Amino acid sequence: MSITIEQLEGPQKITWCTGCGNFGILAALKKAIVSLDIPHHQYVLVSGIGCSGKIPHYINLNSFHILHGRPIPVATGLKMANHDLRVIVHTGDGDCLGEGLGHFIHAARRNVDIAVFLHNNGVNGLTKGQFSPAAPRGYVSKTSPPPPGSPMEPVNGIAHAIVAGATFVARGYSGDQKMLTELMKQAITHRGFAVVEILQPCVTWNRKLTWRYFNERTYPLEENGHDATSREKALAKALENGDRIPIGAFYTGEAPLLADGLSLPDGRLRDHRTDLARLQELLEEKLV
Amino acid sequence: MTFNIGGMAGQGIDTIGGLLAKVFVKTGFYTFTVKDFESRIRGGYNFTQIRVSDAPVHCPVDDIDLIVALSKDAITGKRDQLVDDGVIIYDDRFDFEPDEECYFPAPLSKTAKEVGGSTRMTNAAALGALLSVIRFPFDLARQVLTDIFTRKGERVVEDNVRVAQALYDYTAERFSGRCRHNLSMLKGGPSTDRLLLTGNEAVAFGAMAANVKWVASYPMSPSTSAFIEVVSHARDLKIATLQPEDEIAALCMSIGASYGGVRSMVTTSGGGFSLMVEALGLAAMTETPVVIYNAQRPGPSTGLPTRTEQSDLLFSAFASQGEFPRIVLAPKDILDAFHTTVRGFNLADQFQVPVIILGDQYLADSAANIAPLDVTSVEIDRGKLARPADGDEYMRYRLTDDGISPRAFPGDEGVFVVSSGNTHLEDGHITEDPKIRNAMVEKFMKKAPAIREALKPPLLTGRADSKMCLVTWGSTWGAVSEAAEKLNKSGLSISHLHFTDLYPLRTGLLNEFFAKAERVVSVEQNATSQFASLVTMETGLRFDHHINKYDGRPMTPHWVMQMVEEVIA
Repeated sequence: MSITIEQLEGPQKITWCTGCGNFGILAALKKAIVSLDIPHHQYVLVSGIGCSGKIPHYINLNSFHILHGRPIPVATGLKMANHDLRVIVHTGDGDCLGEGLGHFIHAARRNVDIAVFLHNNGVNGLTKGQFSPAAPRGYVSKTSPPPPGSPMEPVNGIAHAIVAGATFVARGYSGDQKMLTELMKQAITHRGFAVVEILQPCVTWNRKLTWRYFNERTYPLEENGHDATSREKALAKALENGDRIPIGAFYTGEAPLLADGLSLPDGRLRDHRTDLARLQELLEEKLV
Repeated sequence: MTFNIGGMAGQGIDTIGGLLAKVFVKTGFYTFTVKDFESRIRGGYNFTQIRVSDAPVHCPVDDIDLIVALSKDAITGKRDQLVDDGVIIYDDRFDFEPDEECYFPAPLSKTAKEVGGSTRMTNAAALGALLSVIRFPFDLARQVLTDIFTRKGERVVEDNVRVAQALYDYTAERFSGRCRHNLSMLKGGPSTDRLLLTGNEAVAFGAMAANVKWVASYPMSPSTSAFIEVVSHARDLKIATLQPEDEIAALCMSIGASYGGVRSMVTTSGGGFSLMVEALGLAAMTETPVVIYNAQRPGPSTGLPTRTEQSDLLFSAFASQGEFPRIVLAPKDILDAFHTTVRGFNLADQFQVPVIILGDQYLADSAANIAPLDVTSVEIDRGKLARPADGDEYMRYRLTDDGISPRAFPGDEGVFVVSSGNTHLEDGHITEDPKIRNAMVEKFMKKAPAIREALKPPLLTGRADSKMCLVTWGSTWGAVSEAAEKLNKSGLSISHLHFTDLYPLRTGLLNEFFAKAERVVSVEQNATSQFASLVTMETGLRFDHHINKYDGRPMTPHWVMQMVEEVIA
């Protein structure tokens, strides 16, 4: 039984700024969920802190809105507890590529079967526009030290994900609903660690990464003959960040899942009961 | 009777110690083994002390009857603790001139190689020499060794027995010193307690009996062996265990797993717990039960990584920004480590709070034989759970009289489980409404009195109107209770009030003791009397004296008695 848009109607009034790129992300998420044949109660959103982190309050799903930078490890434990769940992380560039960068890379290495939607607007918006880890070198804001702007290269989330071992890596754009919806569907149904970096303008703080900036520079990978089965080609595309910004699936592959390497029962871990008679035997091995 | 096996890391001190403990457990004695080691993989000077008694023993002592030295340092390292008529057996390959009668050189490694075919048999050689000095009947030793090694095959049994016997006979012939123990008439001791466990193993078995299904831990001494114990049974029992990138991830994963409906746990020490503090607050705010086992070691920073201390109590009670209910427990001994861990899981679920179990290196690494445990009779209480019928009406943070809202789990059909580390509404979505904020803070505060009621009162030994009351918590129970007993026998009037359940603090008995006892004295393995501070904070009562130990080494009854006598003087 498919889910209707009305069923996803958010419980709270949206607090994002008018024109925010997050509206497009929320709309695409709803469309993706409506078009997938997955029971409503099996979705869980796990989000961090920032404007992206508020998305669970604007869509009717199970959700866990947690700390800054930590949604990926929380989502990892949750997925292992119940592998029937479709666990989707919503995180921002500040959340995921700053405090959360270590978790992001290690989760990719583990190929834990979750989808990560990385809202990337190049700023820490909710704290008033400081440069984020994804801000370009020289990005100037009134709220970040030092005066000449961000004195370092941006974190390349796509490249990190590919190198670390993520098995689905894509970039979407909040302004391209059709492609973003499609990429989200692929990520949700992908078996393994799926990352969709989502370009979005922060209309309040970011004067550089605007709708116009993205509209002029983004181009679809698929229509330009990109081979998404090759990690090398994916990485080469990931390093392309000049005047033209590729969007679409960079890489799709397969690798063992984290769950394959843990001692999980056949059913859901949450239903499993340790065999106490067996535990008693193991304890009695310590009898002298 | 107390033995000390000393040598370098990597020489098999633990193996000999373990073997010796097993020999005495099998012959019906109570044993207590404590390890003293440096943070290194090879070399240094490490030792194991094995205390053997015909009554249960719960702590190390200062006096040593017999030392086996596997390194040159170990020959003289504990000489000052040797009793009169004590003996130091050492490998004769060391260049050491014995200048006292207590020294007995024996060809340990040489015989191991010649008779057993490998210097790895030095363990059996040392055991043979040691048993010979105390005139332990060899037939009995043979039976016991056969039992111990049977699992490893006939060849191993034969080799070990042969090497042990060679040294036993050698020693019987050559040893001309004096030993105060002569067990030649020994038939067996009174103990039937055959379960030889360390504190960390007891924590691990408690967790497994309580149906822990997710454990994420980053290695950190002295907690690691608790994690390893679970890991070693994970495949068999279907327990998901993961070594994540850091302790932050460890606790976050465990919180995620618990939100998903499984009982989960992290094992760590103070440094790791420091990293977990923000997530501790998340567990509290989202009312997600989780058990944190902190095997304490001396800090701050790296401190003494392989030593013991009780200095994380106030940190555990107050860690994280904000105000919230939590539970802090500290087992008193190895058996209690099992039961306290089981209880910790139940309390976490009943009150939907984080539970911190404070062990320490001393408890974690010491071993004793205890009566068999029945893990199948463990009771599990998952606390308030939502009924499927609650359906559309379900709200994760429904306001209730006792502050506890029924849990449902994501994936349950017909309900949405919405949870947030922000201040939230009953339905879990975020809010900044001052009325709701008040209601949610009060929801938290309502839990504290009920938690206090559910916690165990302190263990009382002696009378409230004694001249002196010693107040302790956690693993120091063994040394202090033995000291109190001895002091009472010597004519003093000492009572002992011991806390396992620390926070929120039950204050009832404290008021009575402070009113009646002439002097109330705290005894703690830390420098600042943290528990005493907690008592004063909660009750306004002030201790008359504080006894503190912070050198990283466990308390002994003798040390406690000396300190008490100083207080009296």
